[in-house]
Amino acid sequence: MVLSQKIHDVFKGTVERITNPRTVSAYKEKGVLSVEEFVLAGDNLVSKCPTWSWESGEPSKRKSYLPANKQFLITRNVPCLSRASKVEEEYEAAGGEVLIDGDDNDGWLATHGKPKDGKKEEENLPSMETLEISKKSTIQSISSHFGGEEEEDIPDMEEYEDPDNLVESDPATLQSSYLVAHEPDDDNILRTRTYDVSITYDKYYQTPRIWLTGYDESRMLLHPELVLEDVSQDHARKTVTIEDHPHLPGKHASVHPCRHGAVMKKIIDVTMSQGEEPEVDRYLFIFLKFVASVIPTIEYDYTVDFDLGSSST
Amino acid sequence: MAGHDNGSVLQFAPFQSSVDEGFWHRLSSLKLNQLGIDESPIFITGFYAPCSHSQVSNHLTLLGESLPPEPSAQSSHLSLRSGNRNRCSVPGILYNTNTLESFQALDKQSLMKAEAKKIWEDIHSGRAEQESSVLSRFLLISFADLKSWKFYYSFAFPALVLDPPAMITSLKPASQCFSLEEADSLTAVCNEWRNSSTTADVPFFLVSIDSNSHATIRHLKDWEVCRSDGYKLLFGFYDPCHLPNNPGWPLRNFIAFICSRWNLQKIRFFCYREHRGFADLGLSLVGEALISVSQEWKLHKHIPKAVGWEVNKGKKTRCITLANSMDPIKLAVSAA
Repeated sequence: MVLSQKIHDVFKGTVERITNPRTVSAYKEKGVLSVEEFVLAGDNLVSKCPTWSWESGEPSKRKSYLPANKQFLITRNVPCLSRASKVEEEYEAAGGEVLIDGDDNDGWLATHGKPKDGKKEEENLPSMETLEISKKSTIQSISSHFGGEEEEDIPDMEEYEDPDNLVESDPATLQSSYLVAHEPDDDNILRTRTYDVSITYDKYYQTPRIWLTGYDESRMLLHPELVLEDVSQDHARKTVTIEDHPHLPGKHASVHPCRHGAVMKKIIDVTMSQGEEPEVDRYLFIFLKFVASVIPTIEYDYTVDFDLGSSST
Repeated sequence: MAGHDNGSVLQFAPFQSSVDEGFWHRLSSLKLNQLGIDESPIFITGFYAPCSHSQVSNHLTLLGESLPPEPSAQSSHLSLRSGNRNRCSVPGILYNTNTLESFQALDKQSLMKAEAKKIWEDIHSGRAEQESSVLSRFLLISFADLKSWKFYYSFAFPALVLDPPAMITSLKPASQCFSLEEADSLTAVCNEWRNSSTTADVPFFLVSIDSNSHATIRHLKDWEVCRSDGYKLLFGFYDPCHLPNNPGWPLRNFIAFICSRWNLQKIRFFCYREHRGFADLGLSLVGEALISVSQEWKLHKHIPKAVGWEVNKGKKTRCITLANSMDPIKLAVSAA
């Protein structure tokens, strides 16, 4: 962990200990949530998107300001069929965003506009930084410390043969070769990763915070470093960090919440400028929608038919 | 899959396990603080939910809460157990050994037999009718190496083997098997069943559809009532599998139950699946199976053969190393 991050963690922890949780609503003014509003918005998410549920997490890590059975929200086994890092590379290779210089020159962006042909086009690409990042930070496949190589150290395990190999000889068992992912197999990247996505309340920033726990295609824990492959490369290692989960054991990838309040505030302002009253129980839907730009290929559920303001749905 | 009409063997997609890191943390602390060298089997609880995405199956998941709670946390723990729609409980048993040698020496076949016997007994005693979750059981054997923080383990999902196997005569998306009125009514009652905290985690049920296209869901114990009212009847279960041509593993013991307890030869089953947490009849399947078991199978004292050890990519044993999040020395280094 970077030193500055650590110092900040200590500072943040101290502030969290000595300050009371927010009780007065500042949803509209700052885009933040009080504890009560978090629970309210969470209840609404659970009822509209029932793949999400409240959990209590580890008893020793329970936060007293939240109800014991509503410590955080989680949705499990969310598919992630392709790597975000890969998708972005392919997108760029296909031409990416191309500035269309029409006669009136109002600078529209065409997505998937022109296939990239040589260097000539590059002047027109507005997002070169992105391109470079995605090339540089291609994460090398870390032979995961969960299983992988280490398995070979086990003495005798290879020789350990099952005496009762019953499953294979049973005609009513669907053989596992049927169970492969149905995507083209053009390399060895694991294809049907799944994620447990959780939302905790960050007392310091007074906003929700997203956590990711990844599993590879054989449902083994994914090294947190490999989780970064499923994060938009604009965010990997910047807004997404690997830290201790506040309610679960182990290190998990998390979208850092320092900008959440400001982004939410912006969205709320837009809503209000359209003359609509933003309902606080919609907070998590809006929040999850903007988080989807950080983890575009993790297909968690936040879809509810709603317009940002009114509660007429 | 072609050839349903001629009757092919009904094949079930195996259950798959998924273990949360929290489970191993909890097991380690249980082992260090309470169990010591005690190797007695431990009753644990796995969780599953109906498939909720067209491209991935759901798994049987073990969490920290799958293990008996710390004495201090007992009260709040129990209140979370029931009614969670995303956590239908499956009873399981854990054999955690003290050494790698004793782990390897476990007699997997006889452990499997012991579980099959439990399922068989629950079918015949009528317990399965009252408490349907006992039809899906699982077995976990493990060795927790607390010196290197490595965990070796294997899962089994015991399924009674019908002899001869059930034949399938049709299997289609549920949306193609009902009239519009029936489908609407069925969707509504399924969602209602899944949203009520008293039924949300009841994985096996009866669906009856009356002549006015009105669907009702009932508990297994209401079988006599359902049978006598003469309506269209389906045997429903929460299907963790997403495949369009195969039902998931829990149907196996359900069929064994139906044919031994209620003595039926022809079964219409309903693989209940969801999209984003709501009933989806396009993903759900309706199938028809024919069962003709040998006379021997009908005897209570004859315990059928069972299968279901999880197959893990060539290797029989899974291993996970959690030194990074458990080893006090590594933790101290990363915290320094």
